[in-house]
Amino acid sequence: MGGKKRKHSEAIKEAEEALLLKQKQETEAPERPPRTLLGWKKQPKTDSSPSTFSGFRNKEKVLVTCSRRISFRYRHLMLNVVSLLPHCKKDNKIESKESKGSTLNELVELKSCSSCLFFECRKGKDLYLWMAKCPSGPSVKFLVNAVHTMEELKLTGNHLKGSRPLLTFSSTFDKDPHWQLLKELIMQIFGTPKDHRKSKPYHDHVFSFTIADDHIWFRNYQISCPNSGAQKLDRGDLEKMTLIEVGPRFCLNPIKIFGGSFGGPTLYENPFYVSPNQIRALEKKKKSGKFAKKVKAKTRRKMHEEANPLEEDEFAGMWKE
Amino acid sequence: MGVLHKDQPKFDVASINGAAVGDSDPEVSESESESESEGEDAVKLAEPSKTAVYNRDGLADKLKDLSWPDNVEWIHKLSIDIHSEEAVDVNDDLTRELAFYTQALDGARQAFMKFQGMGLPFLRPSDYYAEMAKSDSHMEKVKGQLLAEKKRIEESEERRKARENKKIAKEVQAQKTKERAKQKKDDIESVKKWRKQRQQSGFAGGDSGADLNFDFDDGKGSERSNKKRQGVRPGDRSGGKARQFAGKGKTGSDKNKKGRDFKDSRFGFGGKKGMKKQNTSDTTNDFRDFHKGDSTNRKRKR
Repeated sequence: MGGKKRKHSEAIKEAEEALLLKQKQETEAPERPPRTLLGWKKQPKTDSSPSTFSGFRNKEKVLVTCSRRISFRYRHLMLNVVSLLPHCKKDNKIESKESKGSTLNELVELKSCSSCLFFECRKGKDLYLWMAKCPSGPSVKFLVNAVHTMEELKLTGNHLKGSRPLLTFSSTFDKDPHWQLLKELIMQIFGTPKDHRKSKPYHDHVFSFTIADDHIWFRNYQISCPNSGAQKLDRGDLEKMTLIEVGPRFCLNPIKIFGGSFGGPTLYENPFYVSPNQIRALEKKKKSGKFAKKVKAKTRRKMHEEANPLEEDEFAGMWKE
Repeated sequence: MGVLHKDQPKFDVASINGAAVGDSDPEVSESESESESEGEDAVKLAEPSKTAVYNRDGLADKLKDLSWPDNVEWIHKLSIDIHSEEAVDVNDDLTRELAFYTQALDGARQAFMKFQGMGLPFLRPSDYYAEMAKSDSHMEKVKGQLLAEKKRIEESEERRKARENKKIAKEVQAQKTKERAKQKKDDIESVKKWRKQRQQSGFAGGDSGADLNFDFDDGKGSERSNKKRQGVRPGDRSGGKARQFAGKGKTGSDKNKKGRDFKDSRFGFGGKKGMKKQNTSDTTNDFRDFHKGDSTNRKRKR
């Protein structure tokens, strides 16, 4: 397996790099070396506050696409997601074929992205969401349920476009390894990188990811305070803090986790998952027997009547004479 | 892809069951194969399928590969874990949404504390204008919808109130008439009592007692007694005295009055004219000139 070998070597390389980085930090952090590759605007600030220095820089970039023949509702959901992620790139629709994995991998590389959100619509009604980290995996396939887009009028909140969201996770994410992995994946994909050029310096909305009934529920709320204009908020304002839902809403049902990006060994399979096709087929089957049952009942009745004829009524000819 | 080869036997099962035949994607059909035996249309399987893959080590490895170094500061992640006590009932919309809301709110509060600790800005200042996630025209729509909703609620409330008032109105009216009747009865009762007391205390009979008659005393006042008197017209307020004294004449200082009195004494004044022309029970019961004309006569006239 060439892929695995490649991956292994990569992993080693990464580990070495990380180690180097760490050593570098430990040795050089007090000396405050000049930073050359960062944005020049931030340079005076980092110089003035050396405590914020860290070698880490989040360069996450997400490719967001969808399959052909996606329904308008799901397309709107995708556009909402695009508007929520300033660090994403939207691309053209992709034919949902078997070879879509390699196509997508190529595309992600071409767009120099590090992760991908792929909205796949099947039969015009089922939406699947692929979340993948791109060169080396992992990737997850979700079934998306309970979709509400931002356009719905009952979602009344609003927030800055491109402000970095707070990500809240329920503690159930730390229970199982697959939830832990999903949490890390979601955090990296949905978290806007610090100092991203399209991001805004304030934090006025919060994403909530909750596991309920083995599904991940997504909500997006605006944070509002009675006197949010004042820069200094105190405890009292904290008590009065309220949230207004902005949308979109969706519910992710994890189906499978793969080791690679859009493929590779299966690491996890949802044991409770039933595909919507299956459900529909069962429903159809239930309905289909109706006529056959009727006919059967009729013939049975006939047979029964023939087998047990009624006794002659003694008063039958009474009024005829 | 090694996955496909590994899962081949399962795939066969799926095709036997026939549900996944039309599907082009092998991955989907694989996942469908897990749920074959179930006859119910529940979204979730009753029991976990046994063939499901769960590679804990692989997941842990992947997580290690994926995750950022440990020393990354919180400001890069902005993630907050909220401890939730019990599992929420997914089908109860209200409690479910409340759980999400409280989680987000707790997270926001914690984040606020952290930001304050670091001395970083948190919420948008009111004079910071920038592009929003939802456009102004959309927010206008939202506002309009909210207003319409409010109006609708108010109107329905008003209608409801009016309906209830209508229902109550009848009862209120009945109550009022009852009260009035009771009031009247009480008044009469009190007067009777008062009179009895008066009689007992020695003012019995006497003209003064008669003077203190009340008009509302069961209609036994002056009017009724007037009517009983014979030969008095109904409108005659003098009670027949005018006729009585008609011949005598009256003393009056005024010249006009004298003349009037003289005329009255000469021609007679027995009350107002209009009242004289009204029927009384005597005149109506008087059939003396009723059968004067013959019926045949009348026919001929016509």
